[in-house]
Amino acid sequence: MTVGIASVEIATGVIAGRIAAGARAIRWLDDRDPRGAAVLGAIYGATGRAHIVGITGPPGAGKSTLSDMLVAELRRRNRRIGVIAIDPSSPFTGGAILGDRVRMARHTLDPHVFIRSIGTRGAAGGLSRSTHDAALVFDAMGYDIVLIETVGVGQDEIDVVNLAHTTIIVGVPGLGDEVQAVKAGLMEAGEIFVLNKADRDGYEAAHRQFGLMLHLRANARPDDSWAPPLLRAVASRDEGADVIADALEAHLAHLKAGDGFARRSGRRACAQMVNLVHARAAAALLRLPEATRLLDAVSACEIDPYSAAERLLAGSRNDSEGAA
Amino acid sequence: MDTPVERPLRILLAKLGMDTHTVGVTIIAHALREAGMEVIFTGLKQTPEMVAAAAVQEDVDVVGISTLSAGHMRNLPKLARLLREAGAGDKLLLAGGVIPQEDKALLTEAGVHKIFTMGADTREIVAYLRGWWTERQAADAA
Repeated sequence: MTVGIASVEIATGVIAGRIAAGARAIRWLDDRDPRGAAVLGAIYGATGRAHIVGITGPPGAGKSTLSDMLVAELRRRNRRIGVIAIDPSSPFTGGAILGDRVRMARHTLDPHVFIRSIGTRGAAGGLSRSTHDAALVFDAMGYDIVLIETVGVGQDEIDVVNLAHTTIIVGVPGLGDEVQAVKAGLMEAGEIFVLNKADRDGYEAAHRQFGLMLHLRANARPDDSWAPPLLRAVASRDEGADVIADALEAHLAHLKAGDGFARRSGRRACAQMVNLVHARAAAALLRLPEATRLLDAVSACEIDPYSAAERLLAGSRNDSEGAA
Repeated sequence: MDTPVERPLRILLAKLGMDTHTVGVTIIAHALREAGMEVIFTGLKQTPEMVAAAAVQEDVDVVGISTLSAGHMRNLPKLARLLREAGAGDKLLLAGGVIPQEDKALLTEAGVHKIFTMGADTREIVAYLRGWWTERQAADAA
C-alpha cells in the first residue's frame, strides 16, 4: 500500500471538510493503519479551533438522548457538530454493537452533523483508543463543536476530562445513596452537571445531594473561578437543552477570557504524546528476544515481575549505550 | 510502525421503511459481535438516504439490510444507487429476510451483492463475511 499519495488525498479532503475523507481518516486512525498517522501529521496545523465537549455519566443516565437533544439545540444556534459516540467493545472477541445512532437518527441527513460510532477496542477510562484522533479530524474538518459521548462510566473512568475543554456530567435520580455520590470521581470532574430524567421520583433528593457535593467541591477549591452549574433536564421530552447550550457557551467564554482554552488543548496534546511514548516504548521493549525469555521465566514463577521488568529495562539501556 | 494494524470488519445494520420486525436483525447483530465484528445499528424506520449517509459517516465495509415487510424491491435498488452516487459503491451490500426467490435476480442486478433468505444460519452469514473480508484485505494490500 502507498502511504504517501492516499494520505495526502485524504488529508486534503479532511481540511476541505469532506465527510467521506474524514470518515476514512478516522477509520485508519482507529485501525492503527500507518496512513492515519500520516494524515494526522498533515492536518494538525488546521486543528485547535473546535470546542471539544465531553458527555459522560453512568450507564442508563440518558447520555445518547441528551446528546441528541443538545445537537438539535446547537443546530438551532447554527453550530456545525461532530459527534463521537463510544460504546464498549467485547474484551473477548473484540466485536461491538454500536447503537448510539439509534437515538440520534433525526440528525442523519443534516449535512452539518457528522456522527461517528467508535468501539472502545480495549481502552479503559470511558473513551476509545482513537477518540483523541477522531476529535482532531473533526476539528480540522471545521466543526465548531466536537461532542464526545463516552461509554457508561463507573466511579473513575473519566479520561474524557483530559480530552475535552468542557465536560458535562449526566446524573439521574435514584442511582444510589450518598456514599455512592461521594465515591464517584465523577463529582470531582466536570464543568457542567445535568440531572436528567428530572421528572422521576427522587429528583429533589438527587438535586440536594449533587448540590451538596458541588458546594463541598467549591469549598475545597477556593481558586476555582468557574462555578459548575447544576441543570435540570428531561431529554426524552427535549427539556433543558437551551440551558445546557447556554452553559456550554458560558464555559467556553470563561476559558477564552483567560488562557484556559489554550492550556487545556496543550495539556491534551502533551498527554497524548506521553501515551504514545508509553505504548510504543513498551511495544519496542517487549519485542526484544530478552523479553520473551523473561516472560517465560515470570510465567514459570522463576523470577518476580518487578525484577524481570528491571532486568529488561537495564538490558535495553546497555544496548543503547553500546550502540552510542 | 510499532503498533500492529487491527482491522475489524465494520458493518452497518438497518431496517428500511415501516418494517419493525427486529428479532432477526438483533440476532444477526449479536452473532456478528461474537465473531469480532463492529456492528453499527441505526435503528428502525430508516430511509435509503439515511442509510447511505450513515454508511459514509461510519466508513463501514458492509451494509446489511433486514427486510421482512415487502419494501425491498423499492428500497434496496435505491439504496444501491445512493451508495454508488456517494462514492461508496465498493461497500458490500447485503440483504436478509423475506425475499421471494423471483426477486433475487432483479436485486442482484440492481447492486445487492448477496441475499440471505429465511432459515439462513448465523454461522453461514459469519463465514460468508469472513471470507469476503479476507479477500478484500488481500486485494487492498496488493
